[in-house]
Amino acid sequence: MMGQAQKPMPEILESLEGKEKVVIMGCGGCSTVFHTGGVEEVDIMEEILVKEGKDVKKITLPFAVFACYKPFSSMFIEKHKKDFKNCDAVLMMSCGDGLQTVRQILDEDMDIVKPFYPAINAMGVSGGGPSKFMEKCQACGECVMGRTAGICPLTECAKGLLNGPCGGTRTDGKCEVDPEKDCAWYLIYERLKKIGQYENIDNFNEPHDWSKSVTPRIFEREPLDIHKHLARTKKVIESLGI
Amino acid sequence: MIAKKTKFLSKFQEKLESGEFAITCEIGPPKGAEDEEIKSAGEILKGLADGVNVTDLQSSVMRLGSLTTCHILKEMGLDPIYQVTCRDRNRLALQSDILSAYVLGIKNILALTGDFTNIGDHPQAEPVFDLDSVQLLWAIKKLEEGYDLAGKELTEKPSFFKGAVVNPGADTEAALELQIIKMKKKIDQGAQFFQTQAIFDPEVFIKFMERISKMDIDIPILAGIILLKSDKMANYMNKFVPGVFVPESTSKRMAETQDKIATCLEIAAEITNAVKPYCQGVHIQALGWEKHIPALIEKIK
Repeated sequence: MMGQAQKPMPEILESLEGKEKVVIMGCGGCSTVFHTGGVEEVDIMEEILVKEGKDVKKITLPFAVFACYKPFSSMFIEKHKKDFKNCDAVLMMSCGDGLQTVRQILDEDMDIVKPFYPAINAMGVSGGGPSKFMEKCQACGECVMGRTAGICPLTECAKGLLNGPCGGTRTDGKCEVDPEKDCAWYLIYERLKKIGQYENIDNFNEPHDWSKSVTPRIFEREPLDIHKHLARTKKVIESLGI
Repeated sequence: MIAKKTKFLSKFQEKLESGEFAITCEIGPPKGAEDEEIKSAGEILKGLADGVNVTDLQSSVMRLGSLTTCHILKEMGLDPIYQVTCRDRNRLALQSDILSAYVLGIKNILALTGDFTNIGDHPQAEPVFDLDSVQLLWAIKKLEEGYDLAGKELTEKPSFFKGAVVNPGADTEAALELQIIKMKKKIDQGAQFFQTQAIFDPEVFIKFMERISKMDIDIPILAGIILLKSDKMANYMNKFVPGVFVPESTSKRMAETQDKIATCLEIAAEITNAVKPYCQGVHIQALGWEKHIPALIEKIK
């Protein structure tokens, strides 16, 4: 998931200065999990902006409906076309991916060109939950974890070192940058032992190939059969008794 | 290894590899567009230091460059050791600067990972770390073989006396083993000498040296000596300098002394004399107290 946190309210309000009619749009994906753009957070934002004297229209996306997936978000945007057309600004309560997907739908498919403001700062590909999350992947395009016991040294180590710990490692084996955290290479070393691959610790890893992460990376994929997949999800939901 | 070498790249290499006890000192370039500080430190160290280590934006603080400072010291007749960290430059810039150093006659290189940006005065800067210190040594080895990291042939090959660093001050077996594993990787990639993180507890260093000698690691090692100027500095280093630990007893001596300079040099000399039988030299970090180095060298010779 995309780790994220809401921007400070004064920064959000400053960005909306002079904008009277505001559309707020949340996201049912990561922003719901991180409490930055779920239904409740959008409601709270609406309340704050109304108090600030804004004319607010809100769009909430239910859980698991991603703003960054065009077939999902376009359905909601279509329903609120008039609100978008009439607004002075759009405040996106999603990561930058969601913001730009929605912005692109409006720009390119509906010819509605509006200023967009982010309410959220995205903070990296993170896993865990339900309450504690940690950034785990760089999305570098060249995964090395087969050599490093399933732990990503490019992410787990602040310096992204591929050949062992730096000299700044604290004497108790904690990280130079975050004294609360174990050194990534200590974790790799321990886990290599456990999986019977201790000898891998001696391997020299050549410099990482960053050519695979030149942005923007563009993908072509077969479109998803949404109905088929939602039917499967429905079955799971029913089996859970929801 | 020593007997076979007929030609040394630098006076520093000759001293270290001929088995004599070497003394290197560190110079931190100034934060400004001037060379006066460097020249006055250079004048003090001339004839005393076998090599002068020039830091590369140490502690991630922006200042004059290591390469330029090395060049000035070289012109003054000193033997500079060019510190190169991986924090601020990608592989293109690192290789280019290394070639530049060679062309300027700088023959000693110390390859380091570098401190993280968060401890310095530009915490907003993007940390690079495109290469790590082992890969940097590998890159230098490739350049010496006549090729860059892309495999492209160079018109002329450089040649360096290459060093690296190791931190002997690990508390746990795992942390120590990892430091030694990394040290071995550095040797495999061409490191010819090591200098250590600052030593305040000679026992820790001696234990480390005995450990590596049992593993048949035979390479010149310079023990790191920092001039401890005050007890405040000890507290600061314990808190903020990665990999350095000053014992309370040492810190207390600085707190209680009436003559900070004398006690500082006494501590440095005691540590040096304790580690001397176990290593090939010391690397002194005076941190602005370069003028006291002659007195210290007098005590340790």
